[in-house]
Amino acid sequence: MVDRDPLVRLSAVTEHGALTVAGRGVTTGIRGLATFAKSKPIGALSAALVVALVLMAVLAPLIAPFDPNATRTGPSFDAPSWNNLFGTDRFGRDVLSRIIWGGRSSLTVGVTSVLLGTVIGAGFGVVSGYFGGRTDILIQRVVDALMAFPTLVLALAVVAVLGSSTLILIITIAIVVSPLASRVARGSALSVKQEVYVEAARALGATAPRILGRHILPNLMAPLIVILSVQIGFAILIAASLAFLGLGGSPTDVAWGSMLSVEGRQDMQVAPWLGIFPGLFLSFTILSFNMLGDAIRDVLDPRLRGGTAK
Amino acid sequence: MQKYIVRRLLIAIPTLLIVGMLIFTMIRLIPGDILIARLGEEGVIEGKAEEEIREELGLNRPFLVQYGVWIGGVLTGDMGESLWFNSPVATEIARALPVTAELAIFAVIVGLLIGIPIGVLSAARQDTVVDYAGRMFAMIGLSVPNFWLSTLVILYSAVWFGWLPPLVYRSPWEDFGGNLAQYAIPSLILGFSLCATIMRMTRSAMLEVLRQDYIRTARAKGLRERTLLMRHALRNASIPILTIVGNQLGSLLGGTIIVEFIFGLPGLGSLTLEAIDHRDYPLIQTVVLFGASVMILTNLLIDLTYAWLDPRIRYG
Repeated sequence: MVDRDPLVRLSAVTEHGALTVAGRGVTTGIRGLATFAKSKPIGALSAALVVALVLMAVLAPLIAPFDPNATRTGPSFDAPSWNNLFGTDRFGRDVLSRIIWGGRSSLTVGVTSVLLGTVIGAGFGVVSGYFGGRTDILIQRVVDALMAFPTLVLALAVVAVLGSSTLILIITIAIVVSPLASRVARGSALSVKQEVYVEAARALGATAPRILGRHILPNLMAPLIVILSVQIGFAILIAASLAFLGLGGSPTDVAWGSMLSVEGRQDMQVAPWLGIFPGLFLSFTILSFNMLGDAIRDVLDPRLRGGTAK
Repeated sequence: MQKYIVRRLLIAIPTLLIVGMLIFTMIRLIPGDILIARLGEEGVIEGKAEEEIREELGLNRPFLVQYGVWIGGVLTGDMGESLWFNSPVATEIARALPVTAELAIFAVIVGLLIGIPIGVLSAARQDTVVDYAGRMFAMIGLSVPNFWLSTLVILYSAVWFGWLPPLVYRSPWEDFGGNLAQYAIPSLILGFSLCATIMRMTRSAMLEVLRQDYIRTARAKGLRERTLLMRHALRNASIPILTIVGNQLGSLLGGTIIVEFIFGLPGLGSLTLEAIDHRDYPLIQTVVLFGASVMILTNLLIDLTYAWLDPRIRYG
C-alpha cells in the first residue's frame, strides 16, 4: 500500500484530480458541530475517534499503567490479564502501555510531518503557479521527479542518509507528502491569478508578496485543509512501514510499526497478542483519519456534496 | 497525436534526469560504501588494496563525471555492473522484473475483480446499506497496512490452520502450480488495498454518469437495469477508473518493497532493498530510474488510451 505514489493516493482519497474548493457555507462553532454530526454521522464518529486518539497520545504518561520500557511488569509472554490488559512481551513489558506510547509517536510524526510537508509544498506551489515562466517549469520538474520516485524508496533513502531520529523521520515524510500540496496549491494559484480582483490589486500597485498573502493564500486554505486531513493517515502508514523495516526513530522509541517488525515474528507466534493489538490500533488510527479526511472533503468541496442531482 | 507523444516524452527527460540526480546524490550520502561492505575484515579484495579498486570502479572520479558516465551509459543502453552481484545491472533487472510484473498483474486483477462490482453496486444503490457497507469495506482496505495483514497471514495461518504460505521462490517455468500458490496470498493482500481505490473511483465515476440525460432516456425506453449499468454507464465511467488502475500498475511495476520482502519474492522491490543495504550504487540508481520511467510511460499510455475509449478526445 505504501509503494503507491502520492498522486494515486490523492485520487484514492479524494477521487478526483484538482480540488477547487470554496469555503462558503461552513458554519462554525457549536451549532456548526451539531449540524456536521447530523449530516455526516460517520464523519462525526471519526472526529470523535481522532479526538480520543489525540487524548490518548497527550495523556500517555498519565493513563499508561506502566512505563513502556519497564521490564518485568508481569511474567514474560503473559496472556492478557487484569494486570496487563493486552498481555506482556518477551521482557515482561506491558503491551498496552507500549501501544499507548506508540500512539504518541505515531500521531506526532503523522501530524507534524504532514503539516510541514503541506506548508513547504504549498509555498513552492503558490510561487510556481503565480510567477509561472521558468520558475514554474523548474519547480514542476522537481515535483514531477519526486512524484515519479517510488514513495518508500525515497523515504528509505532519506532515512538512510540522514540517520534515525524522530525529527529526521518527520522531515523525510514531509518531503514525501509535499508534492501533492504543491500541485494543488499551484492549480489554485493559477486559477485565482486570473480573477478580476487580483488584476485590480495588481493595477493598484500591490506587490507580489501582498497579493500572495492577501488574495491567493486565503483561497488556498480550504483545499489545503482537505489535503492535510487526507494525508495524515498516509503519513502514519509510511512511518509505520519504515519502522517495520527497522528504520526511522531511535531504538528506544516505542513505535507500532517496530512492534510488528520481522524480528518480533517468533515472539508473535508464541504470544498472538503481540501481533494483534498493535496492528489493530495502527489500522484503527489510519482508518479514523481517513474517514475524517473524507468527511472534511465532503464538507469543504461543494461539488461533491449531496447525492444524485435531481 | 504524434506531436503530443513527442512533447510528453520530451518533458519526461528533465524529470528523469532529476530523478537520477536525486538518487545518485542520496545513495552517495549514505554513510559507508560498497567497498566497506565488500572488503570485509582483511581489507583487500582479490589481493588489491582499497584505493586500487576505487580507481578501477571509477569511484574516485569527480561527482559530476561519475553522474555523466552513468547517465551516458544508461542512454546508450549500458546500465553498468552491479558492484555487489558482480553482474550487469541489466541482467539483475531482467531477472527481477518478471517476478514483480506477475505480482503486479495478479494484484491489479484481484483489485478489479473486487473493486468494480462493489463500486457499481454501491453507486446503483446509493445511500443504502449496500452502499455504506461497500464504502466501509473500501475504507478498511485503504487503511489496514499491508505488512500487518501479511504478518497475520504468515503467522496465524500456520498456528490456526496448520498451513504455511510458501516463502521460497519458485519460477513458473519450474513449478507452475507452486508458483501460483506462492503468488495467491500476496496478490490477494495487495489486491485488497488496490480494490479500495478502484471501488471508490468506480463509485464516484458511476454516480457522475448515472445523472446524465442519456441514462434517463435508456431507462425510460425500458432497458434492463443490468444492461444499463454495464453497457451504458460503466463504459462511460471507465476513463477515471482506467487512470487510477494504470497509476497503480505503474507504481507496482516499480517494485512492491514490503510485500515482496515479507513473502520472499525476488522482485524489483527486494532488489532495491538489497541494493540499498549493500550501497550498490549502479544497481540502486538504475532500479530507481527504471521504476520512475515505467511510471511516466504508463501514465502516457493511459492518456493515449483515453482517445480509444472516448473517440471525442483528440490530442493537439
